[in-house]
Amino acid sequence: MIQFEKFTLENGLKVIVHQDTSTPIVAFNLLYNVGSRDEMPNKTGFAHLFEHLMFEGSINIPSFDNALQMAGGENNAFTNNDITNYYITLPKENIETAFWLESDRMFSLDFSEKKLSIQKNVVIEEYNQRYLNQPYGDASLLLRPLAYKVHPYQWPTIGKDISHIKNADLQDVKDFFMHHYAPNNAILSVAGNVTPDEIKTLAKKWFGAIKKREIFKPEIPKEPQQSEPRFMRIERDVPFDAIYKAYHMSAKNHPDYYVADLISDILSNGKSARLYQKLIKEKQLFSDINAYITGDIDEGLFMVAGKLMKGVRIDEGEQAIEHELNKLINDTIDDSEIEKVKNKYESVFQFAHISALNKAMDLAYQELLGDAERINHDVKKFRAVTRQDIQRVASILFHPNNSSTLHYLSKENS
Amino acid sequence: MILNRKIQPAYQDIKEINIINPTKIKLKNNVVAHFIDAGTQEIVKIDIIFEAGSWSQPTPPIASATNEMLMEGTSTLSSQQIAEKLDYYGAFIQPQPTKDFASLSLFTLKKYLPQTITILEDIVKNPSFPQHELTNFINKKKQQFTIEMVKVSNLARRVFNEQIFGTNHPYGKNVQLEDYDSLTREALFDFHKKHYTPQHGKIIVTGKIDDTVIQTIHQHFGNKDWGTTREREYPQKVSQDEIIKEKIIEKENAKQSAVRMGIRMPTQPHPDFIKLTILNTILGGYFGSRLMKNIREEKGYTYGIGSLLLSLKHEGILLIVSEVGANYAKETVNEIFKEINRLKEEKISKEELTLVKNYMMGDFLRSFDGPFALSESYRSIIDFDLTPGYFNRAIEAIKTITPEEILQLAKQYLVEENFVTTIAGKYE
Repeated sequence: MIQFEKFTLENGLKVIVHQDTSTPIVAFNLLYNVGSRDEMPNKTGFAHLFEHLMFEGSINIPSFDNALQMAGGENNAFTNNDITNYYITLPKENIETAFWLESDRMFSLDFSEKKLSIQKNVVIEEYNQRYLNQPYGDASLLLRPLAYKVHPYQWPTIGKDISHIKNADLQDVKDFFMHHYAPNNAILSVAGNVTPDEIKTLAKKWFGAIKKREIFKPEIPKEPQQSEPRFMRIERDVPFDAIYKAYHMSAKNHPDYYVADLISDILSNGKSARLYQKLIKEKQLFSDINAYITGDIDEGLFMVAGKLMKGVRIDEGEQAIEHELNKLINDTIDDSEIEKVKNKYESVFQFAHISALNKAMDLAYQELLGDAERINHDVKKFRAVTRQDIQRVASILFHPNNSSTLHYLSKENS
Repeated sequence: MILNRKIQPAYQDIKEINIINPTKIKLKNNVVAHFIDAGTQEIVKIDIIFEAGSWSQPTPPIASATNEMLMEGTSTLSSQQIAEKLDYYGAFIQPQPTKDFASLSLFTLKKYLPQTITILEDIVKNPSFPQHELTNFINKKKQQFTIEMVKVSNLARRVFNEQIFGTNHPYGKNVQLEDYDSLTREALFDFHKKHYTPQHGKIIVTGKIDDTVIQTIHQHFGNKDWGTTREREYPQKVSQDEIIKEKIIEKENAKQSAVRMGIRMPTQPHPDFIKLTILNTILGGYFGSRLMKNIREEKGYTYGIGSLLLSLKHEGILLIVSEVGANYAKETVNEIFKEINRLKEEKISKEELTLVKNYMMGDFLRSFDGPFALSESYRSIIDFDLTPGYFNRAIEAIKTITPEEILQLAKQYLVEENFVTTIAGKYE
């Protein structure tokens, strides 16, 4: 059981406190309910670019990092399709510095053309480093628009195209801030050797005076059900062919989400999992292969991605994947195999919730999904999945009409 | 009351860090086991470490292949059975081959320790290196190798090691694609027999430790019934070829260039090493470092740049690593040298030094937080046969170092002529 208290300030800021007396470090996590799904199709990559600007100084504090480092702290942030999440760890005695810093940048940033132009450059280099200058790096950039036709998950968090980042101007940035960065669009979670009273006092002191803002939540269009298989084939300067398959799956709050998660574990969690044993070791068709879920709040993707062994034809690899997926629909699964992935899920959950920071992050995220208390039901829900659930969900998931396939071919081979 | 938001709330300097002294137990077979009771969760992590890194191998990649192939079968369990059992208990065993060592780390729920440690024991003592598993391993590794060779970061890393150590030096010799084909079961058996032996083995156990856990370690790894007792054979320390100062690996269409620069440094037991870590932090060891400020935050040439002071068992290096926009590579190298020279010419301001000290103390605190962080921290001294007193000396050095000492260290160690530079991608 992870125990916590929660309260809401008058301006709408939700606050969660988890006491962990075993650590001298306190974790301070501030989640904003804004991600790349909230962007306009012609201005993508904005939530992430904005995350960079959050470190460029706020209205009263010229350097976020200097002040934090003075207090022995460290911080970082990430943006994904759904959220932007900022986190700090620091010695518990210095917790007030975290309140001071985060509340000031929620108040207002110190915007400037120069800072914007430098961070645009940094993000462009990030784009290059992660996606364009890596073998197979652009596969996810290609697969998303194949799988999604209307939902904003069709573009990656880094942005659909570098030009969107290049063209961002200061007014866009200011608007984005006013529309999304506000106490009533955020969840603060603190974990460490602290008391709820202490945190309540600090939260009121530093965040209390920040006014509610009007949040701009664009209507997110629901992706219509796919009615035929989709396919794309490209050639790149890579040494081996690769195959990527994406299937639409349930949203995070749907009970079948856990079923899809469990199916991905049966296929691919650990070296005893099916895809590894069958397709890498036994048939030796792939040098690596993985099945995973994208983990999004709205309807996300169930992915299978593998690199073929030299000399293996891509359709042979694809048939072998489909054969493994169909077995989940047609054959019954041993109880021991189901028990195995459930045990593993439980132990991974335990390992992942050792650090105060991970607990703080997860509590804030679960609160966004509806209730921080969900953190204590996660393993139970996974454990509740039955053999019948697996067959039922697999048959919906792996229906050919639900698939988008990318053949990522090596130029040398063709 | 109106808050003055311009003033930072009062903060305290970190005065004390609770350095736990691990319980050190010499097992019957001379393996030294370090036990660190930490954390609140019912978990245990066991590292078992041998001097079986690439330093000790006859030819690459025997050391890493032996280490990773331990997972692929024992005299009683097949590769698949090992994987099935570990997954069933929700446990992980991570092989980790490095230049000096090869280790296996078991992460397990404490309630399953009796079952999972039996697997670890079997893997360490009775590997069978089945031929079909080895063939599969070789084919997979060759593909991964070929993919890695497309990445500028990997190209730069390989060539840099050759430049700074020489291709005849065990740290400078890179594995080549064809080396995988010459791997044999016999070579792995031989390497395992020589190097996975108790008298040079070490164990670190963290998590929820009690007498049962200690007894379990005695029982599975403490007896004299395994391993040989032969002496270590180290390859002769090879004389350094002449350092090649600059190499450029051209890669057509590269969007970014990998930049790698470095200079030889003393190893961790050297009295200056701790102070050099402070010098390194100033240069490129944290987000607010001079390199990050200059190359990323002022110029926007890169997503990230950093430096680290790396101590291997026999050599140390200060290493600067980045991937920069292809047309910024030359300018980046110039700016890196500017920052290095600035350290040698200007005394660091009190303010910047205080910031670095406070940051490093915070970092120290974080590196002693929780069982996994603790085991990594202790690993860093145990590998060099240092005692926990090392941490107290480090804290003392951080607290007391002066701007004059930093300047002196920079002048003494950061000799521009001795820097080695590698660029993979474009250099323009």
